[in-house]
Amino acid sequence: MKPKDIFFVMVLVGILSLVANLVGYKNGIMESIPGMVILIGISMLGVLIRQVIPIKIPSVAYIVLIGTLITYPGFPGSAVISGYISKVNFLALTTPILAYAGIAIGKDLDALKKTGWKIVLVACIVFIGTYIGSAVIAQSILKFMGLI
Amino acid sequence: MKNWKIHGIALILVIIAELIGIIKFKVGPGTIVLLPMLYALIFGILLSPKFLKVVNMKDMTDANSLITVTLLLLMARYGTLIGPSLPKIIQSGPALILQELGNLGTLLLGIPIAVLLGLKREAIGAAHSVAREPNVALIGDVYGLDSAEGQGVMGVYICGTVFGTIFFGLLASFAAAYLPFHPYALAMAAGVGSASMMTAAVGSLSAMYPDMANMLQAYGAASNMLSGLDGLYMSLWIALPASEWLYKKMHMIKYGQAPQKEVE
Repeated sequence: MKPKDIFFVMVLVGILSLVANLVGYKNGIMESIPGMVILIGISMLGVLIRQVIPIKIPSVAYIVLIGTLITYPGFPGSAVISGYISKVNFLALTTPILAYAGIAIGKDLDALKKTGWKIVLVACIVFIGTYIGSAVIAQSILKFMGLI
Repeated sequence: MKNWKIHGIALILVIIAELIGIIKFKVGPGTIVLLPMLYALIFGILLSPKFLKVVNMKDMTDANSLITVTLLLLMARYGTLIGPSLPKIIQSGPALILQELGNLGTLLLGIPIAVLLGLKREAIGAAHSVAREPNVALIGDVYGLDSAEGQGVMGVYICGTVFGTIFFGLLASFAAAYLPFHPYALAMAAGVGSASMMTAAVGSLSAMYPDMANMLQAYGAASNMLSGLDGLYMSLWIALPASEWLYKKMHMIKYGQAPQKEVE
């Protein structure tokens, strides 16, 4: 997708997120716009850097990095930026994504049906295995270090 | 992209989902949390030709092409969650890095059960990892996606796509409610290498522990970044060889002999 098209979709998702932010978390549209504009700015910057730098690093990596950098305590204006962005509830950003994903998933339902119950069962075990496995290790180390 | 029908539907789904809001209910000693993102997902699936027939094949394909872009704003938000907490995240660095090894829990649990269920080499593809895009690419590279291993990894990939988000949202909620883990440990564990699975898990946790929400989201995002960086190498160098080894062992136990070389 071209950066222009990405920007268009991003603005749409931004609007949907502002609606979610209003309906679900009672953050007014006007007060949330500055934060949303910053988020769109970070994302577009990441997309553009990806276009310019020829190394194969996905734009999400740049985006997370820029977001981290400009809110790191000590970065000029980080407190102001964090303040604006805190008006955009994190969960409000997730609802539009999953709405689009839900619409898209319909086309994979046939494939799921063909997969067979054994693989479905193994998939559930795999999800539980990775989650609990990581949680056990994290819990032990955090405890050992006295952080929890 | 300019398919206004899907944008309109997405808007309606978002409004309905957010009007329902976060639902918390007590089951036994713990509280289970349901998030608006899960309703949006389920309602979206219900619109498919299989059920309500509101969207057609073209709408579904169009929506699918947008998903990577829709995730970008959330990724920026994750960055802004990591930034302010970075000193604390670095302090927890050892836990964050070592818990990555927990992703090998997939095969320790998955391979034996897959073999006991009667799966053959599909088991290796299915259980060596959580089977997101990089893992599918890896199995495709090593065995080919037409192989038994390829079918295994594709099967789990499809399961993850269709119900992985819901599963992780509920799994995190259950683990927090019934298992003796600190929310921080559960947030770190959520970074399995899929942004939507991590988001569902961390979302549930932050709804359950609003006071810790920022830290939980920051840990989840940081851990997911790490999984993105190390996941492929861990699969290639550790998980696949370990899966092969465990598969042979389990095969001996179940069938009393080493697996024959496939002659298909």
